[in-house]
Order: sequence, then C-alpha cells, then structure tokens
Amino acid sequence: IFFGKRKKMKNLTLVVMLLCYSFASSSGDSTIHTNNWAVLVCTSRFWFNYRHMANTLSLYRTVKRLGIPDERIILMLADDMACNSRNQYPAQVDYRGYEVTVENFLRVLTGRHENAVPRSKRLLSDEGSHILLYMTGHGGDEFLKFQDAEELQSHDLADAELLIMVDTCQAATLFNQLQSPGVLAIGSSLKGENSYSHHLDSDIGVSVVDRFTYYTLAFFERLNIYDNASLNRSYDPRQLMSTAYYRTDLYQPHLSEVPVTNFFGSVMETIHTDSAYHAFSSRISNSKIKSDTPFNQPFNQLSEQDVKEDLQNTNNQNDELKTEKQKCPYSEMRADLHEKLKKIENVDTMVNLSIAVMILVVMVSSSLL
Amino acid sequence: MPVLDLGLIFRTSPIDPDLIRGKSQPLFPSGVAEGYWLKQASMSPYAGSMYHGSPLLLSLLGPLTVQRIKGQPSHLFCSLVFVIADILSAMLLRGIGHKLQMAYGLNARLLGLLKSPRDKEGILPSGDIAALVYLWNPFTIVCCVGLSTSPIENMAVILALNGAVTRRVPLAAFGLVMATHLSLYPAILTIPVIFLLGYGLDAPPLKLFLQTRNVESDNRSSTSSASKQAKLKPTAHLPFLWRTVVHFVFWVLVWSLCVLVLCGLSLSKHGGLEEMFKRTYGFILSIEDLSPNIGVFWYFFAEVFDFFRSFFLIVFHVNILFMLLPLAIRLKHRPCFLAFIYLAISSLLKSYPSVGDSALYLSLWALFVNELAVDMKFSFFLFCGYLGVSLLSPVMHNLWIWRGTGNANFYFGNAIGYACFQIVFVVESVSAMLNHDRALKKCNPNHQEVKN
Repeated sequence: IFFGKRKKMKNLTLVVMLLCYSFASSSGDSTIHTNNWAVLVCTSRFWFNYRHMANTLSLYRTVKRLGIPDERIILMLADDMACNSRNQYPAQVDYRGYEVTVENFLRVLTGRHENAVPRSKRLLSDEGSHILLYMTGHGGDEFLKFQDAEELQSHDLADAELLIMVDTCQAATLFNQLQSPGVLAIGSSLKGENSYSHHLDSDIGVSVVDRFTYYTLAFFERLNIYDNASLNRSYDPRQLMSTAYYRTDLYQPHLSEVPVTNFFGSVMETIHTDSAYHAFSSRISNSKIKSDTPFNQPFNQLSEQDVKEDLQNTNNQNDELKTEKQKCPYSEMRADLHEKLKKIENVDTMVNLSIAVMILVVMVSSSLL
Repeated sequence: MPVLDLGLIFRTSPIDPDLIRGKSQPLFPSGVAEGYWLKQASMSPYAGSMYHGSPLLLSLLGPLTVQRIKGQPSHLFCSLVFVIADILSAMLLRGIGHKLQMAYGLNARLLGLLKSPRDKEGILPSGDIAALVYLWNPFTIVCCVGLSTSPIENMAVILALNGAVTRRVPLAAFGLVMATHLSLYPAILTIPVIFLLGYGLDAPPLKLFLQTRNVESDNRSSTSSASKQAKLKPTAHLPFLWRTVVHFVFWVLVWSLCVLVLCGLSLSKHGGLEEMFKRTYGFILSIEDLSPNIGVFWYFFAEVFDFFRSFFLIVFHVNILFMLLPLAIRLKHRPCFLAFIYLAISSLLKSYPSVGDSALYLSLWALFVNELAVDMKFSFFLFCGYLGVSLLSPVMHNLWIWRGTGNANFYFGNAIGYACFQIVFVVESVSAMLNHDRALKKCNPNHQEVKN
C-alpha cells in the first residue's frame, strides 16, 4: 500500500455519522427502531478533491450493500463523478453540483422544505428512524467548508439530535457545541491535529480515500447484513496518524451495546452480544481515555491579540510615563478641569463650536498673513 | 464656469446611494452613522468595529446622518456636505493650478523658451483641467455618492497644498494637520509642503537658470526664488526660506494642540486620547480589518501566519517610508510634483486603499499636464487599464460575494492588476517629468558651461 502524501492545508474529511434518536421529548424511552436513513454529503468539488467524492460513494455502496434502499438514501454530491458513464456503480444522486449548499443541507436535516421539493429530496424520517449522516469535505476548527463559498459551523450542528462521528482535521472541535442528549460523538483527530489521506492512485493522480474512512470501510467490508458487531470500535492512532476521539457523555447507552447495523444497514432483529468484534477487543480501553482530552486544550486564539497589544503597549506605556511626569506639577489644574468638564453637560456642542471657531481663525489668519 | 455648474447639478440629482453601495464593492465603510449612534448611546464611538475615524468628524457629520426630510432620499444632508467638499476641493485645485501655470510660463520666459513650439497661448490651463478632472472623475463621483469620507480627506489634503502654494502658512498648517488627523498617511506631505514654503513653486533645475544667467542682460522681476538666486550669487544652491518654515512649524503645533484638545474633550468619558490613537492610527497601522477592498493587503494578511504578522506589517509600512528620501532628493526642485508622487505612492501602499485616493492623485496629475502630457508613455494602456479594472472590480465582487460563482481570487486578481497599473502610472509620471527637465536642457538655446 502506498501511504500517500500528507495533505498540505487543513484538508478535512468530515465523516459525520448521524444517529438521530427521535423520540418524544417527554418520555426518555427509546421508541422502536423501524428504519434507517442515510444522508451522504460531499461538499467539495474539483478533481483534486476526488477522494471526498470517493469517500462518499464508497460509503454509499457500503450502506446499500448492508440494506438501506435507495429511497431512504439522500445523496448530495458537489461534483458529478458519480454520474460519469464509465462508473460501474451509478448513483442516484439527489442533490448535485451547486444544489449542495449549507441551506439545502440544513433543510434536509430539519425537514423544512418548500412545497415544490420532491419526495426523493426529503428526509422523511420518523420517530423510529436512525439516520446516518455522512459528510466529507474540507474544514477546520469548528467549521466545515461547503464548495469554497460557505461553511457549516459546529453551532449549526449543535441544535440537532445527533451522533456525530467526525473524521477530519481537528475533528473534535466540531462537536464542541453539542449539548443535546442522545448524541454520541466520535472523531478522528483532536484539536490541532490533521487527518490524513490514505493512498494515492497513480492513474488518477490524486488521493483516493482518507485514513479514517478507509479503516472504517475496511471494517464494514468484513461485515454482512447479519453481523452483530457493535459500534464500539477503536482506531489505531499510528495507522490513522491522528488520535481518534469519542465523546460519550451525552449518549445514554453504552457504546459496546450499540450494534453497528443500528445505523448502517436495514433494520433487523438483532440479538446483542457482549463481545465486541474480536480484532478490536484489546483496544476498547483506549477509546475511553481519549474522550476526555479535547476540552482541556488551551485556546491559542489569544496569541494574535497579544502581538497587537505588544505593538501598542510600548507606545501606551511611554505616553503614560510622560503624562505622569507632567501631571505632578499640574495635577491640581487637571483636577479642576475635570470637574468643570463634568459640570458642562453638553460636550458635543462645545466641540462643535470650537471646530467652528477654529475654521474661522483659519480663514481670518490666512487672509491676513 | 458652466461646466462646474453641470457638475454640481449632476451630483445633487437623487442618485440612490444604496444602489452604489450595494452593487459595487464597499469603498471604505464610513461607519459614521454607527459611531454617532454609539456616541448618542453614551458609549465610546469605537465600541463597534465600524468606525475608525476622527471624533471631530463624528461631531460634524454624525447629526447629519440622522436627519431626514420627508420625500427625499436618506442621507441627503450628508451627500450635500460631500458635494460641497468636492466643489471646494475643485476650486482649491483650480487655485493651485493657476499658480503653477503662472510659474511655468514665467520660467519658460526666463529660460528663453518662448520661441520653442509652445507659445504662451499654448500653455494649457492646468488649474481648470485639474478641477474638471476632479469633478468629473468617476471615482470621485462614486465616492461622493457612496458616502465614504474620502471627499473630506481629499479636501484637507488639497487645502494643505493650496496653502503652501499660495504661501498662506496657517491654511497650509491647518490642512496638513486635519489631513493627518483624518487619515495617517498625509503626514508624509510635510516634506513637499516644507519644500514648497522654503524653496518656492515648481521650477526647472537651478542649473538651467545659471546657464541662462550669463546671457541675459536686462533685469526682469520674477517671483521664482530660483531665478533670483541665480542672478545674485554664482552658487548652485537654492536659498531656503527658514523663516517661513519656522512659521509653518509653529502653526502646525498650534493646530495640532487644538485638535488634540478637542478630541480629548469629546472622548474624555470614553478612554481619552490613547483610545483614539489606538483605534484610529493603531487600526491603520495594524491592519486589523481584513474585509476586501481594492488594495492587496487584506488577502495577504488573511493567510500570513501570526508569527510573521508584525514583520510583514513593518515591511509594508517601511515600503512607503523608504521611498520618501530618494524622491525628495531627486525632485526637490518640483515640490508640488513631489506631493503628487507621495500621494500616489501612499494611496497605492496604504492599509485600506480606496478609489477616493485614486481620485485625488489623478486630479493632481492633471495639474502637471503641461509637462507630462507630451512625454508620458503608455498613456493609452494605462487609461484602458484603469477603465477595465474599475469596470471589472464590482463584477468580480458581485460574483464572489453575492452570486457565489467566483471566489476571492477573482477579486484579488483584479486588485493586483489595479496595483500594477498604478505602479506603472507613478513610474511613468516620474520618468516623464525627468525627461521633461532633460528636454529643457537640450533645447535651451543659450546653453553654456556653468562655472562653479
């Protein structure tokens, strides 16, 4: 396997797997799980973002293979490699090209469409749905970029009931703002870390898939519809070249109790077993530890302000020193002036009058001198 | 002047400023209305991030942004103020041009160049041309209608130049102090203003007068100190009128004190002078606002790493400063032209350029039409370049921000093109002026060796 080149800038493949426990807010009980939906979004276009398209389409294929029918999949692709006639797996693309915008995406999630939008473009989930939301593209600290023109921020995702699994650069930051219950967050990298592409295809010339997705898909390739593997898988940080991170505090059931097919396949009667998938059993403990770290990282945004302040601090200090030295003999005068100023109610008219006087003096002096 | 009246009528016609502001790129967001509102709400006018100008401007213009007359478009009074400022600037430009034209004719006569192809009637009325160029320049009109504060800043600069040219020292000092107070960059005009007051108006180099001195026999009165000097002493140095310059410095101090006291008064409750300096000059020097404009710095500073930010800030500001001295040495015999070059360079390299700055230096260029119009190369190329850039720039901005089919690079490419055209313009103007001086030397019919 050719471990291809690192992404230079903050390339972000956001794998957002959205588990939506839609239940009546009064009762905390989960309703019967009846169907699965999948919303797969690719937000970047152009050839050099081929891997994002490939991520989305490979997950589309996985999800279809595991049983979610086309009617319950909403596929949003910002560029149309899928519909290329050479493609062996033609996709039913619901939102294509420039229709992939933050507004349309949020409309799909919230269900607030205009009347004319066809059924195939709507997320018609109900109480018993689990929704898989997969998003890929570029992003960074608390945002995801849509087509070079817009961004989806972590605030936008916060209000939904989501399980967010984010595989991007600084993935952990995108769910900083989440507060709703029923949300489980799994991220591929922490704040300040990048997520990396997996390998390069020399025929195509660009990276074709990202690491986190690659290992996720590798896991799924081994499954079939009848498997009982749980969601509690962990990722090897050495292979990912970043630290996977789980945020479990908002999610009630334990991670190992949640079967993967809850979200990725069709609804089946599953009998849960306690054993996780064998290959990953030894790494269960790692995932728990990593869930605590992102929130302790200091924010480095103040450094820019510090630089600016340093530039002006020296000036201010000099001014203060000078005025202090001059104030001592004139301190009484200044105190008097201040009191007078406070008594004068309308400083503004005085300033205006003074400006007028100044202009008058200018005109007089320039005509005389 | 019927043409000037036409300009006035055109301006006061009810052009909707929102149309201009909405469709084209933001010139320099004045934010006067916001600053005024904050002030009325007893907060510091700098509390919001929109207003970064002078508190005096706020006291003058603020109430005007609020008053409305029924049936008239909003901001009518503000527009009127800017129209009046533009007309005053045009009249002052006319005064400068008149003086320069007289000096040019005088120098030409002294050098015996009247027999050259250009007669006295052939001298173009540079004052009128400059005034017309200023009034009818599309950039000026867009600034005036788009309600940026450029007309007032331009007026202060032109006031300073007029005062220096007509030797009214308090006026020059006042103009310079106000211009520096409103935006930082006219401070570099101190050098040409001092030269104007000390050495006098633009004149060909002293050597030419020394060459003709030996041939002339009759005494002619002249106002140019260069020719007087040439008659009196055989040295090659111009006299420097120190008395006038000291006078000027005194008035500068007086006006600066007034301005600082007034600003301190109006901001006494909101942090005082330090706050003002931090928010006005500090804002200009530290380039905090990275919203797109017709300049090139916003793009650069959006991607520069924080570690290098102060370094690049210093580099960009020194870029203007280090050009001042060589130009001053080379062009000290032409201080008005030096002022034009300084203004062009500062409007090219300042932190937040706008088309109002271009309006100013283009009309100042027209003051030197007698010397430059013949020699200047690439004039058609530059004209087309300016036209193309000013037409494409709002289009690219629209594509990027409103339609979303373009991105920042479209607009920035335009800005880079604009900067290139400006650079070519400045370089060509300087070389045309120097060529003009060399041409004077060549076609001087009384060419003789100078004995030092």
